[in-house]
Amino acid sequence: MKLRTTAAALLLGMIAAMPAKADKLDDIIASGVLRCAVVLDFPPMGSRDEKNQPVGFDVDTCNDLAKALGVKAEIVETPFPDRIPALVSDRADVGVASTSDTLERAKTVGFSIPYFAFKMVILTREETGINTYENLKGKKTGSTSGTFEAIALEKDVKAWGGGSFRPYQTQADVFLALSQGQIDATVVTNTVAHAVVKSGKYKGFVVKGDAPYVTDYVSLIGLRQEQGLLNYLNLFVNQQVRTGRYKELFEKWVGGEAPDLTVKGVYY
Amino acid sequence: MLNYTFHWRPALNALPDMLGGALVSLQIAVLSMVIGVVFAVFLALGRQSNNKLFYGFSTGWVELARNTPALFQVYMTYFGLGSFGIQLDSYVALLAGIAFNNAGYLAETFRGGLRAIPHTQTRAARSLGMSAPQAFRLIVLPQMFRIVFYPMTNQMVWALLMTSLGVTVGLNTDLTGVTQDLNVRTFRTFEYFAIAAIIYYLLAKFITLSSRLFAWRLFRY
Amino acid sequence: MFETSLTWNDVLFLLQGAGTTLTITFWAVLGGTILGMLFGLARATAPWWLNAPIGFVLDILRSVPLLIQFVLANSFKSILKLNVTAFTVGCVVLALYTAAYCAEIVRGGILAVPPTTRRAARSLGMTYTQDLTNIVFPIALRVALPSWIGLTLGVMKDTALVLWIGIVELLRSSQILVTRLQEPLFILSIAGLIYFLMSFPIARLGARLEKRWREND
Repeated sequence: MKLRTTAAALLLGMIAAMPAKADKLDDIIASGVLRCAVVLDFPPMGSRDEKNQPVGFDVDTCNDLAKALGVKAEIVETPFPDRIPALVSDRADVGVASTSDTLERAKTVGFSIPYFAFKMVILTREETGINTYENLKGKKTGSTSGTFEAIALEKDVKAWGGGSFRPYQTQADVFLALSQGQIDATVVTNTVAHAVVKSGKYKGFVVKGDAPYVTDYVSLIGLRQEQGLLNYLNLFVNQQVRTGRYKELFEKWVGGEAPDLTVKGVYY
Repeated sequence: MLNYTFHWRPALNALPDMLGGALVSLQIAVLSMVIGVVFAVFLALGRQSNNKLFYGFSTGWVELARNTPALFQVYMTYFGLGSFGIQLDSYVALLAGIAFNNAGYLAETFRGGLRAIPHTQTRAARSLGMSAPQAFRLIVLPQMFRIVFYPMTNQMVWALLMTSLGVTVGLNTDLTGVTQDLNVRTFRTFEYFAIAAIIYYLLAKFITLSSRLFAWRLFRY
Repeated sequence: MFETSLTWNDVLFLLQGAGTTLTITFWAVLGGTILGMLFGLARATAPWWLNAPIGFVLDILRSVPLLIQFVLANSFKSILKLNVTAFTVGCVVLALYTAAYCAEIVRGGILAVPPTTRRAARSLGMTYTQDLTNIVFPIALRVALPSWIGLTLGVMKDTALVLWIGIVELLRSSQILVTRLQEPLFILSIAGLIYFLMSFPIARLGARLEKRWREND
């Protein structure tokens, strides 16, 4: 199938019409491989173990999805800003990558129902004296380019005037910059913040208070026009919660009470 | 048919922002070139020096700049120096990284240029009563710059292209940074990057043409 | 003594990245050289209506940052729905980029052969092809080879940019290790050392060749 598509594409070149194609869901099942775009510098959702192999909540979720489809899972590492390009450029079939479901993005990709929810907290070093979100005013801040929290933080920094905001290409670079003092604080998801502090890899990192943003619901993503696949993803997320697997994975990677994935007072 | 619809209208709306970014890119390229040329003159002298320390330092700089990727150099000036507690701003780090690279490449160009100037010239200048620095500054350097002007123009274009690396160290005000910011917000990668490519091309042409004009004004007899 | 949590395993991981760097370099230089020779020959000998458009396209490739070219090619590929890997895209873009520079080197080499020499060859009864293969190429090679070596090394360093489209080469593997081990300076220095070791010996060889051949002139 793949071979034929390639050959056809090469033959027909750029302008020719492509032959009618089975949809993505068919393709995945036929190829026997599910390629998941996962962010691997975002513990506990995705990271690498000491053998440099991918592990984490998102990796396990991808494996579950592959199992449900009856195919093999393949993890495609993508930095945050590269998640959707990876999908659009067909390097991955689905994104299991903590993608916030913004309306701007929905113009380009399709979202499943939320499979996880984050609260944002402030991560800083002990000696900066930052205790609340208001303290960030006038400080050097930074976050991962294009994420929910980066967009919200940059907007506030601009509104405050003074201080600075730096977008980095990977979450790892943000932590590196924070530990070296290139920035004084960042806003990250609670899970990441606690995982990073607990790991003890960065000296002096502390979590200080919540950022006053709305809950960041994140979804699995697929191409916008692949309705068949998106339907499947919705049911998959539903089943993960229904069967208790969601709680189980949350316990394994994060611990504590698993966040509620529904919004009160409205249908999805 | 193609499964992608181009959204050019919102992309073109961002043109003013991107042109602002282009100015920043051009500024970094020019500054890095000025700093690079100054350092390169000293490195070129160091490469011919009998002083072991000066020679070693210059050779180390030149070989390091020429034998590692520019991306590596920029990443190193930001995160590498950062682990010594030296915190450069993204803009400064990028500028320093490119200037370091420029100096390394230009030093070798200058060395070739210096070699092409006969020693008799210096001797003639000295016998006219000039001091050694005077002879170098007034006789040797102007002739060298004439010889190396074309390779310098090339390096200037490269410096401009290298400014695109700033995005890896958190710079969001240059052309690539602005483009990437727009890209991650909307995921209309092709549209924004195509516009950026055209602007870079025009900037590169602008540099080539203006340096030709400059050379014509400067070097005519 | 200096302490690190870098294991032997991690060093192998870095070397694997270096392997990817070399593989991409190989394909890019191979493809780029073949294309570059064709374009260079066309630039040196073809009539203006063929020469000008080729020159224009190659000039664009030399005037747009590689980073932008990679991103553009990668997204364009997805728009066309071509089923090729990022690795292939990386190699093709880099090969075209190499070709753009190689063409100028080849052109310079060919134009460095004095027209009188070529006329002499033709008047000795050589055909155009014989003139090209027996007279022009050997002389042009001497002029072009040192620059070509420089170009190859340049391409090897430029492969670092493919990390942008998701390929794990040397620089990206070092970033991955930095993420896990938090020893940026040490690990980046190792990566830099590997680049240096891959590039420096060949650079010296090129410099020696250039010197030796110049003496013969």
